[in-house]
Amino acid sequence: MTKAKEKSSPFPKLPDVCVRCATCMAACPVSRVTPRFPGPKQAGPGAQRFRSASEVSVDDWIELCTGCHLCDTVCPAGVPISEMNMMAKAKYLDERGRTFRDWLLVRSDLFGELAARFSKIVNPLMKSRLLRRLLDALLKIDLRRDLPGYEYPTFRRWFGARPAAAGKTGRRKIAYFYGCFTNTNETDVGKAAVEVLEAHGLEVVVPSQRCCGIPRLGVGDLRGAREMGRRNIGLLLPTVREGIDIVFSSTSCGLMLRHEYSRILNLPGAEELAGSLFDICEFLLRLRETDGTSPALRPLALRAAYFAPCHLRSLNIGFPALELLRMIPGLDVRMLEADCCGLGGLYGFKKEKFPIAEEIGKDLAEAAARMKPDVILTDCEGCRMQVRHLTGLRTLHPLQILRDALKPS
Amino acid sequence: MKHFDLIVIGTGLAGLTAARTAAEAGARVLIAGRGMGALTLFGNTIDLLGEIPPETDIEEGILRWIGAHPEHPYARTGMEGIETALSEFQRLFPPPYSFAAEGRRNALFPTGAGTMRPSYLIPVTMAAGAAMTPGETLIVGFRGFKDFQGDTVSLHLKCRGMNIALPRYGLEGMTALALARLMDEASFRERLGETIRRQMGGERFIGLPAVLGLRNPAAVLKTLENTTGARVFEIPMLPPSIPGTRVFHRFREELIAKNVTVLMGHPVTGATVRDQRCEGIAVQNPPLTAEYRADQYILATGRFLGGGLSAGMDRIVEPLFQIPVFQPGQREAWFGKRFFDPEAHPIHHAGIATDADLRPVDGTGNVVLENVRAAGSILAHHQAIEEKSREGIDIATGFLAATRALAS
Repeated sequence: MTKAKEKSSPFPKLPDVCVRCATCMAACPVSRVTPRFPGPKQAGPGAQRFRSASEVSVDDWIELCTGCHLCDTVCPAGVPISEMNMMAKAKYLDERGRTFRDWLLVRSDLFGELAARFSKIVNPLMKSRLLRRLLDALLKIDLRRDLPGYEYPTFRRWFGARPAAAGKTGRRKIAYFYGCFTNTNETDVGKAAVEVLEAHGLEVVVPSQRCCGIPRLGVGDLRGAREMGRRNIGLLLPTVREGIDIVFSSTSCGLMLRHEYSRILNLPGAEELAGSLFDICEFLLRLRETDGTSPALRPLALRAAYFAPCHLRSLNIGFPALELLRMIPGLDVRMLEADCCGLGGLYGFKKEKFPIAEEIGKDLAEAAARMKPDVILTDCEGCRMQVRHLTGLRTLHPLQILRDALKPS
Repeated sequence: MKHFDLIVIGTGLAGLTAARTAAEAGARVLIAGRGMGALTLFGNTIDLLGEIPPETDIEEGILRWIGAHPEHPYARTGMEGIETALSEFQRLFPPPYSFAAEGRRNALFPTGAGTMRPSYLIPVTMAAGAAMTPGETLIVGFRGFKDFQGDTVSLHLKCRGMNIALPRYGLEGMTALALARLMDEASFRERLGETIRRQMGGERFIGLPAVLGLRNPAAVLKTLENTTGARVFEIPMLPPSIPGTRVFHRFREELIAKNVTVLMGHPVTGATVRDQRCEGIAVQNPPLTAEYRADQYILATGRFLGGGLSAGMDRIVEPLFQIPVFQPGQREAWFGKRFFDPEAHPIHHAGIATDADLRPVDGTGNVVLENVRAAGSILAHHQAIEEKSREGIDIATGFLAATRALAS
């Protein structure tokens, strides 16, 4: 990788673009539940006018922004609000220093493989009251939040050990960015992705990849995030240059790879990578529209609620998973009318932020209680964790239902 | 790439109306806006033409208006078009949270500035405001909620008013959205009703800031009326408008249910035009630009705030298609002498002139784009703010544009 041409990150638009119309205040999930966070208008462009690189940060509420990006999606003036918050958070935490908890949590990709390997020991351990109390007291990882279990073999191992399926080579290739959570905690999502792609007549390849870096971005660790981005771009560009498109099944990883690598991190090669990256459902829809690839879908008699993750909204590609799900005969799928699940990635695991995440999630839980679905479908692993926690309902990635519908009856 | 029947540019009330109208007719629709539109800024009530005095029948008033303003957007839709579009809008809000007029005329409703303002269609939560009498009304604000001062509003309305403490601790500095969300909680609004009841001195009406719930405002109204024994009404105030947010959410819910592709948060930055026909639009989400194609397009990008019009030093332009903009001469002719001139500033007449089909025309009346229609406040020859016609124009022209687009 060359280090040339890395641009610094000046704001493309100044805070003065903001006319203080307060539309963002109608969208922010955090200021909706707590007066401790002044909301995007004030935290973003409002405070930005007073911030200076040479002065110490004073806005300690900046940490309460979850980075959901919903403010950006409603702003009529195009103010990069969440980016301003992110930069202010990064500066604030650079000055204050990050906790050991934050250091540890954003590196889950490093110990994930190992934890998966020893999942038989690790999983019961993570459920043990004693350990959870210790984590709660010492690291401030909230006791009330379920820690996700690890699975072995990992998705990557499962994929590598698969016998080369006969008749699947020589087809159009598609590369899959599975993300850490699919690899070590929710391997079935990856398996479903592979099966669905193959059912659409594609040959799946799995290029080497690292954590996308979005957890690091969440704690304002721009250097760490940039490092992850640089590695991923190096690992993925050869695939792109072979003319192979890459799909992702996690909308947060996808947002990071496709937009934040260039928009916030200014990484060389990011634009080239972004051009070949697709949300997996977006890609499947395109396939149906352009190539007419439409494998038969068998009926599924289910009542499903679809929840659109914030980062999917920020990708701004509509709701491709919902469109695909609607093609399944018999499946009664409706939009879950809630704005944000509240988890905010690692945010909701942190003791001081747990109550905010819970309060935001309450709206989703109530919407789900009104709908009484058999299953809730959503594209983001964070949302799935939170939805399970809030509702106790069966919660899947849309691909897992799509796979069922694609199976020959 | 999916090919759409109709692409609507702009997520304000005009764009939402157009998208819904087309989706109801079974069309494949995409709507794209760079933000949430202006429903959080306006959208408290559905103004039709506030200029018409409350004692005049609305139809009579509109017909006279059209006669006097043959270029006005209402002259394009006609009274019949307005009525159809408004009843379609009302159909989107079935009871209990419904919109209705006080008879077929304008009525006066109190505002957060303490003035009385004429409007036409009103959500059920504001209806009692038209009936209030100063001597029998109590205006209630909340301590620590800066956007609405009960005592100031009541001073101007010449009735009794106060700011009360909310029945829960730690709410100082709460936003309007936060309050509205709390109102959806039955126990909270019951206790609030009790708190208000204890302050009442025989009043028959209670005016509150327009934060009476997001999800179920009619239930909030019912609880408050039951606990206080008075008629309760919401008073529109500073943005973000909660009633406007409700309207936006209802439209979005309906559009998604009808399989409309909803794109929000990034601007439409380019359009491909060939032989006076739009062939596609580009939506920019850095570093990518996505192209979308349709047979027909509706431009509902608003005026200056929405980005539909852009003023340079001496010309006003329409930045997306470069459609000629009707405008009052050079910059020196744009503004009146006083900021609060009762006559609209000449610049407010600026906008896109159209044919009867809402297709943009140039200075000589020739259609410049065959498959593009303009709707909402971007249209020329109205003064939505001064004549109080904003929502009416949005709904009536959004409906007409979609109907004509699908018919062609």
